Amino acid sequence: MDTLSRRKFLKLTTGAAAVGVASNFLSLDQIAQAAITRPLPAETPILVVVTLYGGNDGLNTVIPYKNPIYFSSRPDISYKAETTLPLDAELALNPSMVGIKGLWDQKKVAIVRGVGYPKPDHSHFSSMAKWQTASPERQINSGWLGRWLDSQPEDPMLAISLGSVLPPMLAGTKISGSALPLGGLVIPKGALATQCIQLSKVSRIDSKLMAAAATSMRNLFNLSTTVQPILKMPAPVATDLPTVNGGSAGGDSNLSQQLDVVAKLISAGSPTKVWSVSLGGFDTHANEANAQAQLLGVVSASLTRFMSQLKSTTRANDVTVMVYSEFGRRVKGNASQGTDHGTSGPMFIIGEKVKGGFYGDQPSLSKLIDGDLAVTTDFRDVYATLLESVLKSPPEQTLGKWAGRTDFLTKV
Amino acid sequence: MRIARLETSRLFHRFAFGPRPGEYAQAIKNGLEVTRSNLLTVPQVDLGASAVTVPEITDLGKRPEANSKEVVPFAIAMRFQNQQLVLWWLDRMALSDHGLTERMTWFWHGHWATSIDKLNYALPMFNQNKTLRGNALGSFNTMTKAMLNDGALQFWLDGQDSTVKAPNENLGRELMELFVLGVNRYTEDDVKAIARALTGYQVDRSSGAVTINPNRKDSKPVNLLGTSAVFTGDSLADFLVSRDDCAKFIAERFWYRFISSSEEMPADFSAKAAFANRSIAKAVAAVANDAAISADRYSIVKSPVEWFISACRALELTPSKLSTPGQLINYLTNLGQVPFSPPNVGGWPADEAWLSSATAQYRIAFATWLIKQSDQSVIKNLAPSARVSKSADWLGIPEWSARTQNALRASIDDPAQFVLLALCSPDYIVSA
Repeated sequence: MDTLSRRKFLKLTTGAAAVGVASNFLSLDQIAQAAITRPLPAETPILVVVTLYGGNDGLNTVIPYKNPIYFSSRPDISYKAETTLPLDAELALNPSMVGIKGLWDQKKVAIVRGVGYPKPDHSHFSSMAKWQTASPERQINSGWLGRWLDSQPEDPMLAISLGSVLPPMLAGTKISGSALPLGGLVIPKGALATQCIQLSKVSRIDSKLMAAAATSMRNLFNLSTTVQPILKMPAPVATDLPTVNGGSAGGDSNLSQQLDVVAKLISAGSPTKVWSVSLGGFDTHANEANAQAQLLGVVSASLTRFMSQLKSTTRANDVTVMVYSEFGRRVKGNASQGTDHGTSGPMFIIGEKVKGGFYGDQPSLSKLIDGDLAVTTDFRDVYATLLESVLKSPPEQTLGKWAGRTDFLTKV
Repeated sequence: MRIARLETSRLFHRFAFGPRPGEYAQAIKNGLEVTRSNLLTVPQVDLGASAVTVPEITDLGKRPEANSKEVVPFAIAMRFQNQQLVLWWLDRMALSDHGLTERMTWFWHGHWATSIDKLNYALPMFNQNKTLRGNALGSFNTMTKAMLNDGALQFWLDGQDSTVKAPNENLGRELMELFVLGVNRYTEDDVKAIARALTGYQVDRSSGAVTINPNRKDSKPVNLLGTSAVFTGDSLADFLVSRDDCAKFIAERFWYRFISSSEEMPADFSAKAAFANRSIAKAVAAVANDAAISADRYSIVKSPVEWFISACRALELTPSKLSTPGQLINYLTNLGQVPFSPPNVGGWPADEAWLSSATAQYRIAFATWLIKQSDQSVIKNLAPSARVSKSADWLGIPEWSARTQNALRASIDDPAQFVLLALCSPDYIVSA
């Protein structure tokens, strides 16, 4: 799984299960148009979900930098205590996460420790499906935010995923979120365009897939070529970011590009309450240290830049970011300077309304379960909190009866 | 008649890479029995495929030191070989007289999905491709044994770094989850056990040569799926492949790739029983004969390579002769599918993943580029008034939808546009 491509992984996560509803593919122009004609009301909370595909090694993200078991379990890939970024007397951030450390110091980062679900599954595809459907016990076809969409008035702008494939998380039983491909589209013109539009019509004999093929063509032509003002604007300026890092503050990564588009569209008032972005490559079975540090550096720098960009808009206080991965990794390193698939890991919640600090218990390194970290917090506690406090929606609709909450948000 | 056309179309587009001009009409005349038998009978010689020049893929040896004067020619040679490898296989797909062998090789490439992007060397991937082709319709047991000794697969899944002191679970887990048994048909303890059983392999990266280092191998018995034993690679393959779950899993994968990725496989799908002695040919024949092959509801989207190759066959184009090969690979990259570079060990995605406004755009651009390099003689040789009706036979389409007929009818005097619309129509992108 080394060259993990997000869009293909997404497809696999759904397995053979059909996504309930065909997803919409939006163009930037459509969103821009909606932002102009019916902007999101001021002070509406916005959730940004960041998915790290491949299984991020939690122990090298939030590092128990004083625990001798950490060092003895993974001698090849443990970080020297003095290189880490201490958060308290026991835990420190990966050295590459300077930006997130800065936000932590400003009390804007909640780290929920030991997050997972009962009976951890070590398959990328199954575990990611459990996280995205929020149904670890039973395989279902709808995603947790898709079911939230089901409870809302239908609006293709309400939940948007960056990239050309919709993650299962946003597939509801009746309504699905929309996918927004990065990059511009070049559209045929003239007589050819007329006939391409003809091809995109629905036909009586269409199977579901042929209808989807016609729709994909139609969406290409639904782009208005005149409404582009917002997208042609530069991204919001990150006023308070030091320039010493130059352009390398995550600026070249695809995650950073995704977040740039999200920042622009949030700034423009897109009527969107949920955004989904992602980064792949965390399946570090071998030669982990450099690869993971590089990826975490991208996550840290892109998110720091994003939060900073939002400050130049009126929406900075409205945005909450959630970062997760399908599992953590085995405590003990393997012979390839890497780690195998594990269980629980930390989640990051970032935003102006976040009460910074640690939540959930740090899984013990001396009481492993089959060599793996225990799960101390169920991810549904986090989801329920976000549904209730950010999306202002009863969690029961999405998660069924679920009592657990994690108190990382200030009450308004 | 309509069902016969549908079934014939599926045989061409799912079990091969689409018809060359005239083949579909001839198959309709021959009838389904003959068509199926032609498809499933592997000929002694495949003149089309054997006319493809075998590229010179050599062992490039260790990468020279960075900044040394040898590193530039080395990198050029590496890139050249990688490109030659892709072009060679695309040519085989486009030019073979008998589609099933190439199609099954393609299926198995997606099954034992190994990417050159980690390995970087062409030779081990070339050897793996030969292994997959040689066993494509043979015994799954033999194939599994060969794949455990395949340098490209071992390297891709970190087998060369798995030792008795620190077993690496990557290969063992995927062997059970994605290659032989299917997910959750084993426990996490089994994953740890199989990782121990698979320790000791070493791979020479540039040649792909696999050896076993007894000092690195865990020689103690492991308890795997209820059996305690000291396994060799071969006995492990025998053990896993003989399990009932293997037949179920391979039947599921056949269903997913040949029938439907979204509709559920019926429990009595004939491929499972036909796989009783692990003969791939028998299981494939069962799929091609199954009632599902003529059932309307099982449509499937052609993946980008499948779509491209079927277009090459229809237009009688040779992939490696397209100008330029670099542009060809760019188009395939934009559409998200380049042979030898699957996205991850789970292989290629399916169906809706290939349908977005972004892929619609790239497909139009790609088809435009292809058509410019073809003479479109099949369409030009037809009277304009016959072009719409005859072009369904040309491309092996059961019937054009009303929508596509309208678009084509408006373009009968413009052969290039006519062909472009036909190739980009939902009717052609999707195998009905």
